[in-house]
Amino acid sequence: MAEHGGSHGGIARTSRERTASERQADLDRIARYRALEDEIRTRVAASGDSAAAVDLFHLTSKLLRLNPEYYTIWNVRRRSLTSGLLSRRSAACSPSRASLSGSRTATTTPPSASSSSTSSTATPHDQPSPTAGRSGTLVDDNDGKKDAELLEGELRFTFPLLLESPKCYWLWNYRLWILGQAIERLPTAAARRMWEDELGLASKMLTKDQRNFHAWGYRRHVVNQLESPALGGSSMVEAEFAYTDRMTRANLSNFSAWHRRSKLIPRLLDERGADDLTRKSFLDQELGTVNQLLSVDPKDQSLWYYHQFLMLNLLSPVGRPTITPAFSLEDRLSYIMREIEGIKDLLESYEDEELDDDDRDAVKQIYKALLDYTLALCQLEGRQPDGQERELVAGWLRELRVLDPMRDGRWTDLERDYGLRG
Amino acid sequence: MSDKSNKLPEELQLFTSAHVKYIQSLDTRKDEYDYWLTEHLRLNGLYWGLTALHILGHPEALPRAETIDFVLSCQHENGGFGAAPGHDAHMLSTVSAVQILALVDAFDDLESRGKGKAQVGKYIANLQNRQTGTFAGDEWGEEDTRFLYGAFNALSLLGLLDLVDVDKAVDHIVSCANFDGGYGSGPGAESHASQIFTCVGALTIAGRKDLIDTDRLGRWLSERQVAGGGLNGRPEKKEDVCYSWWVLSSLEMIGKTHWIDRDSLIAFILSCQDPDRGGLSDRPGNMVDVWHTVFSITGLSILGYPGLQPVDEVYCLPKSTIERVLGR
Repeated sequence: MAEHGGSHGGIARTSRERTASERQADLDRIARYRALEDEIRTRVAASGDSAAAVDLFHLTSKLLRLNPEYYTIWNVRRRSLTSGLLSRRSAACSPSRASLSGSRTATTTPPSASSSSTSSTATPHDQPSPTAGRSGTLVDDNDGKKDAELLEGELRFTFPLLLESPKCYWLWNYRLWILGQAIERLPTAAARRMWEDELGLASKMLTKDQRNFHAWGYRRHVVNQLESPALGGSSMVEAEFAYTDRMTRANLSNFSAWHRRSKLIPRLLDERGADDLTRKSFLDQELGTVNQLLSVDPKDQSLWYYHQFLMLNLLSPVGRPTITPAFSLEDRLSYIMREIEGIKDLLESYEDEELDDDDRDAVKQIYKALLDYTLALCQLEGRQPDGQERELVAGWLRELRVLDPMRDGRWTDLERDYGLRG
Repeated sequence: MSDKSNKLPEELQLFTSAHVKYIQSLDTRKDEYDYWLTEHLRLNGLYWGLTALHILGHPEALPRAETIDFVLSCQHENGGFGAAPGHDAHMLSTVSAVQILALVDAFDDLESRGKGKAQVGKYIANLQNRQTGTFAGDEWGEEDTRFLYGAFNALSLLGLLDLVDVDKAVDHIVSCANFDGGYGSGPGAESHASQIFTCVGALTIAGRKDLIDTDRLGRWLSERQVAGGGLNGRPEKKEDVCYSWWVLSSLEMIGKTHWIDRDSLIAFILSCQDPDRGGLSDRPGNMVDVWHTVFSITGLSILGYPGLQPVDEVYCLPKSTIERVLGR
């Protein structure tokens, strides 16, 4: 396997024919690139004194600017930081301790000979620290100032690379590792400042590409860390919820932001200590907002998914965090029926009209929601659809067969499941 | 090659011989800068290319002995594989190595000339986070459901799944599930078709498909098909031919491949071909690459396109390979 898209090994259809001079230029670039690689490999094998470590570090900068996907070189860079450039720490701090998700107990053997010697050669120089703790194991460093400069330098170094390659896993990864080092090596306040700046970077990247999967994941990590005791943090759920407000307002089709909102809501209400009445009015407000948006653009899948999220709190609250856990079955049924009626109203503006493509997309979404919610309502009540519901369902399915023939198999299965065929 | 004997109209033809030649040419492009810039994907690339060739019915198009030699030359003492000689070991390249060795029936070579299955298993098992159940990509700690799937894939092929805490990994996948029926890269992450493939694949290997909300997931996956017939990976995104694999394999695992339109997807995939020089691209007219090539061809295989070998929807290897290795 392996993941992620992009044009791996891509050769442009138009650029496959090169002139002789273009080919020569490529050969020259290749020679320079490989020479740089060779130099790094030679120095890694030699793994000499600290001056050599500085040289090696600078060589990795050169190569990573040419190719930020070269994960082994990022690892060389990490090792040159931990084995010489950053201040030495007690042997208790192994590289994997810096892992953000933190608590992996299984340690792995570093793969290259040069790295496996790192911790053992470092140990004799270290004195046991009397204050050995999360960030307090610095030995030959003046208050972590040098480390702070180095780590900040790393963030500056990777920033333009990230702007150029915003979907490069290794780059995001490396930044997180650097920030993890900050937690381990710097005083809490200094580390926290770096992480706070990083939240700014995550926002910036999401302004440039609102759906960037990496940037959203990164933001989640950064917020988790900023909330953690390691950074003297506290909950940021209100601020993050407000962020999803801004992001969904800027672009209603930004499902990434709607998704994030759906994940924050249960926590938000818990942390607000919301009582039953507050929760009810929160649900009313969210439904009101999304229904209003749907009345403007009923073809938008993102809005419908968010609506579905809200409805699931009513339709199948067991095993899910609910917005309104105190709702009785009657409450839930009345909400669901009200929503179904509201969705039926959306259909009115399309009746007796000539439908264009957008209209057809809208009507499709409306029928799908009606189907979904009507059948779920029956399930909730533990019954089969009654005569009138069966008629409605069969009608919507007939429409969907015409409007959405791509998913014909789905409509057929539904007809079969509810005995509506023929 | 059978391209011309095909009775299908030109726009419905798969240009098999061009694709075979394209894949064969990949390792001869040493005078191209890109060849060197993509060395960190060499082993993955070999897996992609070789799988495509097997599905196309040309398993002999790359030399077996050299393939095995190259794979073994990427192995480290700790059992893990790097992307190429001199590259650090990583889960992704290790999984590709195991898949290639399975494909060319060379686990014996791994025992006799490599570090052995047990060492590979140990390398992978050590990357499990024993507290959360998920897996890291390497010693530096990035965690992602991609790595969990990769671990399950490789370990089960090696018959070593008992080296890891399967139940805990399954719990972790459950914690990655979203209200829409899909799964993300970790808890809290948005549903994404390729992460869904990894989570549904891992649950299938673990024998825990009962945990999947198949109806809701099937609806979400079927909504990935857009007007032109292609599939996207998330709501409101553009189609990309690689989702022909991530979405279709997931639909296949939950028995709902018929919830999308086969013919328009086939037409879309075929429109991404470079008919003259081979290979497929993300969308018609773009640059081809081996990644999009393999996931187009495996997608076509799931759709039953004529002349292709059947692909296993869980392992992304020929069904015949899985039958041989797992004795199914």
